Amino acid sequence: MLTKAVIDHLRAKVGAENVYHEREDLLVYGYDATPEIEGLPDVAVFPDSVEGVKAALSVCRDERMIVTPRGAATGLSGGSTPIAGGMVLGLTRMNRILEIDEENLTATAQSGVITVDLFNAAAALGLFYPPDPGSQNVSTLGGNVAENAGGLRGFKYGVTRNYVMALKGLLYDGTEFQTGGKCVKDVAGYSLRDLLVGSEGTLGIITEVTVRLITPPQDKRTLLAYFRDIRTAGEAVSRIIAARIIPATLEIMDRMTINCVEDYMKIGLPREMAALLLIEVDGHPAMVAEEAEGVRRILEEVRADEIHQAGNAAEAARLTAARRTALSAVARVSPTTILEDATVPRSRLAETFGEIERLKEKYQVQVATFGHAGDGNLHPTALADERNPREIKNVHAFFAELYEKVLSLGGTVSGEHGIGIAKKSYLLRQFGEGGMGVMRRIKDAFDPGGRLNPGKIFIDRASTSAVRMRGGQDV
Amino acid sequence: MSESSPMGNFHPVDAPGYESILQCMRCGFCLAVCPTYALTNRERSSPRGRAALARAVAEGKLEFTPAVGEEAFFCLDCKACSTACPSGVRVGTIMEFCRSQEQVFHPPSLPAGMLRDFILKRMLPSPALMETSLLPLRLYQRLGIQWAVRHLGVNKFLPDVLAKLEGLLPPLSRPLRPDIPPLTPALGKKRGRVAFFLGCAMSLVFPEVSRQTVRVLSRQGFEVVTPRDVKCCGAPHLAEGDRESARRLASINLDLFLGSDADVIVTDCAGCGCALKEYEELLDGRAERERLGRFRAKIRDISEFLAEAGIRTEELRPVPLSVTYHEPCHLVHGQGLSGPPRQVIGKIPGVELREMKESNWCCGMAGSYALKELETSRKLLERKLAHVKATGAAALVTANPGCHLQLAAGLRELQMEQPVLHIVELLGRSLPA
Repeated sequence: MLTKAVIDHLRAKVGAENVYHEREDLLVYGYDATPEIEGLPDVAVFPDSVEGVKAALSVCRDERMIVTPRGAATGLSGGSTPIAGGMVLGLTRMNRILEIDEENLTATAQSGVITVDLFNAAAALGLFYPPDPGSQNVSTLGGNVAENAGGLRGFKYGVTRNYVMALKGLLYDGTEFQTGGKCVKDVAGYSLRDLLVGSEGTLGIITEVTVRLITPPQDKRTLLAYFRDIRTAGEAVSRIIAARIIPATLEIMDRMTINCVEDYMKIGLPREMAALLLIEVDGHPAMVAEEAEGVRRILEEVRADEIHQAGNAAEAARLTAARRTALSAVARVSPTTILEDATVPRSRLAETFGEIERLKEKYQVQVATFGHAGDGNLHPTALADERNPREIKNVHAFFAELYEKVLSLGGTVSGEHGIGIAKKSYLLRQFGEGGMGVMRRIKDAFDPGGRLNPGKIFIDRASTSAVRMRGGQDV
Repeated sequence: MSESSPMGNFHPVDAPGYESILQCMRCGFCLAVCPTYALTNRERSSPRGRAALARAVAEGKLEFTPAVGEEAFFCLDCKACSTACPSGVRVGTIMEFCRSQEQVFHPPSLPAGMLRDFILKRMLPSPALMETSLLPLRLYQRLGIQWAVRHLGVNKFLPDVLAKLEGLLPPLSRPLRPDIPPLTPALGKKRGRVAFFLGCAMSLVFPEVSRQTVRVLSRQGFEVVTPRDVKCCGAPHLAEGDRESARRLASINLDLFLGSDADVIVTDCAGCGCALKEYEELLDGRAERERLGRFRAKIRDISEFLAEAGIRTEELRPVPLSVTYHEPCHLVHGQGLSGPPRQVIGKIPGVELREMKESNWCCGMAGSYALKELETSRKLLERKLAHVKATGAAALVTANPGCHLQLAAGLRELQMEQPVLHIVELLGRSLPA
């Protein structure tokens, strides 16, 4: 609990309208989009300038207060939840696009700018910012950088990291840093920029981001295929890539997801099919035509059970409807939706699907799986009810065993959601004590007092007393 | 929405269903479309935040504090979040229940409460009383007082709310309800029989629009029955948190229209249509399922009905006009109808539809919101009119009396030239007199 004097001090320094301390406000700054995880801050501060961020941090230092940076809180691993109390430092009011540099093809924006706003500002000038996380209409650029967010275009265009050129920000102790720049080539010193991308707000507060822009593709073709056997879908993915075709979108949905979508939309999807692949190739019109033909030939060769190719934009929209609706359809089925993020080398996709089916049977859980097949990045999504502890326990056991398998296949416990709180124990399994020790030393170098977003990524030393744990799980 | 487990700190009567609150997975997709969040950038004034507050009350972590009540009424209930929500949460509806709770936990002061009761429990349920209440207003206009007030700037001295109310008023003519024919025959080849649900605001404030609706239906080959004993649909009561009166009115309308022997029940008021489609839920357990289902299956907004039945285009004459379309929240979000109004507009020869930005954002009227949250309402209206202006369209088309009033008042104030037209008025212009 903070004293009135501290609140007044913050209000004076950051602006009264940017400081919240009433219970009704604090309650709603305790969560992000991760189920079962919730904290309660003592104060929430939303500076609208770098000066404000500095001022808020200086009050934190005076009070030895913990700080949890927060973008739009759409994260899926608990990275921005204030599980140890203290201050939530919201960056959504730092929302100005500062520059789009058409000569260097870069955009510079404050970290609270919404992803799609940057995309639109670039598009208005005929430029393209490709990273498109599912939450792009609400997520902030700073949050995307902190979590190294991915999206549907990852396979061909890469993820947030591939576009970040420069960052500005502050350490907990008030040190201002600037790393990277507009130079395409830059090997000067350690790349602090690359350390900060994906650091989940545990190293520093990012206030400004410069990203690379590219020219948009001129043309696009959309294909959709259904498979009675999910292994055939896996084979199609492997052969498309072996044929040196890099689709902009290469998405997969399993039988359960197809059926959820059909229950919800009633658009006549074939319920008996085990998998659907949505493929979009883009680029120069001549190349697009050739690649679309190549994809079609491969789908025929592996004997996909149905192949559809869009002749125009309206048909393309129809073909992509099922994939676009996947999350909505799945999320409606049950109160609690646990969206996970298992990622394997894409040659192991079919095997991973097989394991998911086996474990669903073993733990008797409802799991719908869809995801980015081209990236080997799957979103097995458990449909559960958090009021049922036994069910939740089974879901966690399901994921624990799935992640064992994923790691044994050379995969990773997070393709694009980050570690946060939800996956700390899995991360330890992936990196071992050695790897975690190196990370810990980096963390200590940036934040020796451990007051910046504690309780995330690392298992030890965190005070997680405020975290709510449903179903008795170790979060 | 009466369901399972924790009632927590809610009063047991008309508490939001826990199940419906729990369905929120906090993905935050609603933040992008919520007008009150866009204006405040404050989580508790967002759908996700409001659902979280309701959850905290239901789980006993928070009392039903005045701030929770404030948020329930600060919500526009525009339902844009329902459209954006992947998991089907209807925060507007949860907030309607919270408005009921507010009456229990923090009842209005005596005079305000009496006025509220008079309007909700006496005036709105009685069409005749409403028609008489508007008489002084019509006289006020007829005698030229309105002209004087507007042109001499007297309303600058009126308290803000009265000035807003005054600014909203269009020229009033005789209410339609007492005059509307109970039966209007179909013209040309008959295609069916429809019942027309005449809304209060349509009858009192926009009688010419509803006259057009009946005329359009008739010229399109439908026989139209209009029960004069129709009651208020109950939407204002739901919005104010008076669910009991809403249920009483709904029961009367249910009996009246199921007895009318029509294939469908058509309304030209998006707000009424939305409420009528929710009777099934509102009266759950108080009327037979089968009757509620049958009633629900018959309800159509006029655009929905015309798009579904197919517009007979033979006798349509060109209307050379560029228009932009403002989507009423109760149509696009409340009923999920975004395509049909555009299909109807698209069928009218000569009309050019120019889409505006954020066409599905609330105009700030939101029932009585425009009178209670003057500042927020004004900001939303200005945002809307800026988008209208950017299209350069010669007319602004919409489909709901609340939006119609608010937009017309805003255009008048900014001295913009565009008339506001209901879709059926536009279609009516295309039909022979």
